[in-house]
Amino acid sequence: MPSVCFYFQVHQPFRLKRYSFFDIGKDHFYEDDEKNKLILDKVSEKCYLKTNRKILDLINRHKGKFKVSYSISGTALEQFENHRPDVLQSFIDLSKTGCVEFLSETYYHSLSFIYSKDEFKRQVEMHREKIKLYFNQTPKVFRNTELIYNNELASFIEKMGFKAIVCEGVDRHLGNRAPNFLYQPAGTLKIKSFLKNYRLSDDIAFRFSDRNWNEWPLHADTFASWVHKIAGNGEVMNLFMDYETFGEHQWEETGVFDFLDHLPMEIMKHSDFDFKTLSEAADQYKVRDIYDVPEFTSWADAELDLSVWLSNAMEKEAAKRIYQLEEKVLLTGNKDLIDVWGKMQTSDHFYYMCTKFWSDGDVHKYFSPYDSPYDAYIYYMNVLADFETTIEETVKDIAPVKKSRRRKEIADN
Amino acid sequence: MVIEPLSKQAESTAYVPKVLMLGWEFPPVINGGLGVACHDLCIAMSKYSNVTMIIPKSNPDFVVKNLNLIGLNTIDAKTLRNIGHADSYRKVKQVHFINTHLNPYYNGNLEPHHDLQNLTSQYLKAIKIGDEIVEVFQIDDLYGGDVIEKVTIFGKLAAKLALSLDFDVIHAHDWMTMIAGMEIKAKTGKPLVMHIHSLEVDRGGPQSKGWVYQVEKRGMEYADILMPVSNFTGHVIHDYYHIPWSKIVPVHNGIRPVEPFKSEQMFKEKMVLFVGRLTRQKGPEFFVDIAERVLEKDQNVRFVMAGTGEYFNPLLERAAQKGIAHRFHLTGFLNLDKVRKLLSIADVYVMPSLSEPFGLSAVEAVQFGIPAVISKQSGVSEVLNGSLKFDYWDINRAAGYILSLLHDPVLVENVKADAYKDLVNISWDNSAKKVIDGYNKFKLIPEPV
Repeated sequence: MPSVCFYFQVHQPFRLKRYSFFDIGKDHFYEDDEKNKLILDKVSEKCYLKTNRKILDLINRHKGKFKVSYSISGTALEQFENHRPDVLQSFIDLSKTGCVEFLSETYYHSLSFIYSKDEFKRQVEMHREKIKLYFNQTPKVFRNTELIYNNELASFIEKMGFKAIVCEGVDRHLGNRAPNFLYQPAGTLKIKSFLKNYRLSDDIAFRFSDRNWNEWPLHADTFASWVHKIAGNGEVMNLFMDYETFGEHQWEETGVFDFLDHLPMEIMKHSDFDFKTLSEAADQYKVRDIYDVPEFTSWADAELDLSVWLSNAMEKEAAKRIYQLEEKVLLTGNKDLIDVWGKMQTSDHFYYMCTKFWSDGDVHKYFSPYDSPYDAYIYYMNVLADFETTIEETVKDIAPVKKSRRRKEIADN
Repeated sequence: MVIEPLSKQAESTAYVPKVLMLGWEFPPVINGGLGVACHDLCIAMSKYSNVTMIIPKSNPDFVVKNLNLIGLNTIDAKTLRNIGHADSYRKVKQVHFINTHLNPYYNGNLEPHHDLQNLTSQYLKAIKIGDEIVEVFQIDDLYGGDVIEKVTIFGKLAAKLALSLDFDVIHAHDWMTMIAGMEIKAKTGKPLVMHIHSLEVDRGGPQSKGWVYQVEKRGMEYADILMPVSNFTGHVIHDYYHIPWSKIVPVHNGIRPVEPFKSEQMFKEKMVLFVGRLTRQKGPEFFVDIAERVLEKDQNVRFVMAGTGEYFNPLLERAAQKGIAHRFHLTGFLNLDKVRKLLSIADVYVMPSLSEPFGLSAVEAVQFGIPAVISKQSGVSEVLNGSLKFDYWDINRAAGYILSLLHDPVLVENVKADAYKDLVNISWDNSAKKVIDGYNKFKLIPEPV
């Protein structure tokens, strides 16, 4: 009896303002409050509130048989807290139905696993606290930023006590196998991986409104018939996508909400099919094979690797510099400074610096609040220069004895 | 002088369009930007078409391969007059010399005109060989003034000459040849393409409404399609001349490849370079303001302006007033070799133009591996992704970019690498293909067989 597993990603970064060279040393506030609030409001109205209402309606209509999983980044939750408590409340309402699972991720939606395991762990724990606080759940399934994944991460996550992990179903590692089963990450004991079915996921997330697509316009019954094809040859249909697909990437006018409205009914017309949260599916199904991913993969672009965040010299330099600060930042013991540091780790900052398609003139492929990847890098590095100075000055004031004690505390933790 | 079919593709079945070009500057007579651009475009187009180029003045010793180059100065007026009666251009002889004393891009610096009257008379006298003298005078009366007379008479003569030539399409460059283009279209009914390298609105500002503006406007209205050297200029044409976008086909300029080199620094400070005429259009006073802002943060920078123009003295004064004269250098006019020498030692190139149809100098800087900080009000900003772009009035932003480039080798490396990728696409061959595509799209030439 195959299960459809929806997982939606909800994320908003704290975008940095156009922080000029001339602001260094003068302005210690880095975020573009206005833009962040503007975007949050826009996406809240177009997507979050509407889609949450729809999901709640579907759960009620199908009497608890429709289930979904969410991963909400800590930076998104924080922005809801500050500016859109109504959105936060609508997620809390969903959590009370018992049909919604919240997954674990790094609080800052960061690349920390690549640069610092300690920092990674710290952020996963921070995020867990936040989820517990609002939704009264302790996450059992982990998804890393943009589905960045490899064997080592799966192993690390297993040791942290998770029972499953989410990743992209990458053909070069799957070979001729389908993503529609649970897999055992190579080198682990019992953790299970959910592999995104990118074909069907992207039919909704990317192709839905594409008038040049030969399946346009896509209706729920057609899509359900594609899902039903795995009957007898698959156990999980993993439909993973950004939540902003609904209403923001695919506008309401495209009919995406009607599509969503009819989909559960159409899928459950086949009596073998049901919906499960990722934890339920992990409990229900056994792993069927080993999924061996020695190199990092992700769900980004055609390459499905790290190249969006870490391919050009600017991205690498910026990331290297921010993680080099780890010891000193923690040494300050200053919560605010540690938080600023965390927010600067958000993967979006590096994504804005991406020049992969820049030279092809395909510059609109990327969403960015800045005019160019150079601007993204320049503002980031200007902020970093100011932040480094602040950290240096703060650390200087800490007595040497205290320093060694603090180091020990950090090590003990 | 005999016109021969030039196509290297004569054996191929594809139709080879015949293009009649009308130019003003052309090497080696004038080596300005327009002349070089026309020359290089013609050469590139000769791969895809038969090009005949009429210019006011040519040097008979200057032969361009695959190009029929006709200087009106080399044609006997009597022969010209007889065109229409005679059968072919084969009878055209090199006899007469028409001097044209016009340098359209140097508004503030026109050459002395003491002999202009003579030249004009001489020119008129030449036309007087025969019966049609009246016609020339009439045109003179219509517009008055020497500049006007020149482009007008050029138009008359070129139109006469065109009657003896075989071509599919007329391709005129800038306002000096627009009257010629209109005359030829009127006489032959052939479609007219106007290639726009620079407009009066770029040079004189948006208030320009003088005679040149009127010629440009009328010419562009009369033309079948317009090929500005950038989308930016396309917008100027649309916004200031009210020409519909439907007949505007931007064709970006190309560039000649160079062998870049590096030279030893002359001083220990870093160097920020400006190359261009010191006129309003190029925004030189913004360069001074940007320099002042950069020097507030970093004294180890020198700012060099290569070029001359009516802003030379005011710029000197401005730099002195701001107290940055010790870091600010005006070189005056430099020849190509000296400009290249500067490019070989510069750290950052800045182009703060107010209205720059293309901006080849920025591409030349990129060829030398210098990161370019360029105004968004330029055509070149459309093809140089590997550059930092600012609105010309945004001094802070430009200064911030320069400071970042001077202090961050990673940024320099990245911008340079991206700019090198851009250079691959900036070629005259690409421009030529776009021109031919434009002819085809608007059905100005017979369909390819």
